[in-house]
Amino acid sequence: MTMQRLFAPVTLALVLIFLIGPFLVIVAASFSAGDTLAFPPQGLSFKWILKVFTVESFRQSFVTSMFLAIGGTFAALLLGIPASYAMSRYKLPFAETVRGVVSAPIIVPGIIVGLALLRYFVVPIGLSITLALFLAHTALVLPYAVRVVSASLNNLRSDIEEAAVLLGSSRLGAFFRVVLPNIRGGILSAFILGFVTSFNQVPVSLFLSGPGVRTLPVDMLGYMEIVFDPSIAALSALLAFLSVGIVFAAERFLGFSRYV
Amino acid sequence: MFQNRAEALALALPAAIFAGLVFLVPVILLLSEGFRVADSWTLSAYVDFFSQPLNRAVFLRTLKLGALVTVCAAVIGYAAAFAIVSLPPGAKGRMIGLVVLPLMISPVARTYAWIVILGRTGIVNQALTAVGLTDAPVRILFTETAVFIGLLQLFLPLMIISLISALENLPKDAIPAARVLGANWFQVFRKVVLPLTREGVVIGGTLVFTGSMTAYITPAILGGSKVLMLETLMYQRVTVAGDFVSASVIAFILIVMSFAANSLLKSLATARNRT
Repeated sequence: MTMQRLFAPVTLALVLIFLIGPFLVIVAASFSAGDTLAFPPQGLSFKWILKVFTVESFRQSFVTSMFLAIGGTFAALLLGIPASYAMSRYKLPFAETVRGVVSAPIIVPGIIVGLALLRYFVVPIGLSITLALFLAHTALVLPYAVRVVSASLNNLRSDIEEAAVLLGSSRLGAFFRVVLPNIRGGILSAFILGFVTSFNQVPVSLFLSGPGVRTLPVDMLGYMEIVFDPSIAALSALLAFLSVGIVFAAERFLGFSRYV
Repeated sequence: MFQNRAEALALALPAAIFAGLVFLVPVILLLSEGFRVADSWTLSAYVDFFSQPLNRAVFLRTLKLGALVTVCAAVIGYAAAFAIVSLPPGAKGRMIGLVVLPLMISPVARTYAWIVILGRTGIVNQALTAVGLTDAPVRILFTETAVFIGLLQLFLPLMIISLISALENLPKDAIPAARVLGANWFQVFRKVVLPLTREGVVIGGTLVFTGSMTAYITPAILGGSKVLMLETLMYQRVTVAGDFVSASVIAFILIVMSFAANSLLKSLATARNRT
């Protein structure tokens, strides 16, 4: 009987150590005063955390990643909201095909999307690296935008906007004044999900990154092959806190998990 | 429901055209490259690909690691999910939050942690040397074991979450009833729990298996060029040799796997809706 009573706490403790432990190790390693990556850390200092902010390539790739995550998600929403609206409120011809095409980028592994885009779109047309990355990240986030916005549109009764139209509002006016305020939470949730997905994404950007223009995670992959100091640990810890903070705030203020 | 077809198309077409041009057409062109040699349709690229021992080894290793990670995730996942559903509501919510938490963190950051843990001066080697099991550091990084550990940590949360929702739908009396009727714990699991949670373990398993098969970051960081998997092989073929034909073959294999897994999930979802 005691064995059974011990089973649950022991299992949970082991699983949590396995899942969360590495994250705590990274945080501890980033406060190290030593020059090599080690755990337990040698001494305590902020020098590696401060060093992260002085590395020029990290600063550049952080800006690139931020631009892609915000701009790409914004573009995906501009495309995705009207498409979701059409699929949920209209008798759209070939609705299933449209849904399949816009959600397909989620199923196909990112590395393939990146390579295909590079070889058959970016190179033939001669696009710049930044624009190529922007298109790829938009395509990557589009399925999430459509899924989350569709879900919140389907939860909203459609007779209120029909009532607005009957009372003389234009279709567009009804959308902006009746529908949009009601799906605001869903759109914000889609934005956060898209932002985190795009920001953490590596495989899509792998082939598309070029000289001078890289996303932050791709830059980190390159850096850690050359340098073995704790700065990558420090940067990883900072990024982890950033993502967890964003998601935690979203859950707190929006009830994020209702939408995703 | 509005009836205006032109309006509906005007709203939906920009997204569809964008996804078609930026995603669908390029991917189809890339895939077709593997079936065309000297302007005729052929499977010779696939024959060539699998005739090379390295490619076969990478293909088999990818399948093996995918299967191994899935089975281990299922075993650990059942234990964890059982423990979590038996908690009181408040503690249960917090525990689910902790299990989901790693999913929000950048996979690069999560995988890098294993370098600190498994490296030559890492915790594991320090512990082994301190206990006296080894004199020199053991090589764990850049082995299949390291990649296996990294993948398991990356995808275990997906399995646990799928199994929690399956176990919550398990009738409360099912297990005590089977115990009273004389079944031992193994029989209870095989005859009662497994059939009733089959859907959850299949959903979790598909997510874990496709995730592991198509992983890039984990084998790139923890396996290096010694332990290649399909995606790292693909990257190497393109960047080192400019070999787009092999890349196309690998892309086709990965896409077929992903679509098969996805349609399995879809058919399960519709089967549930019907009953």
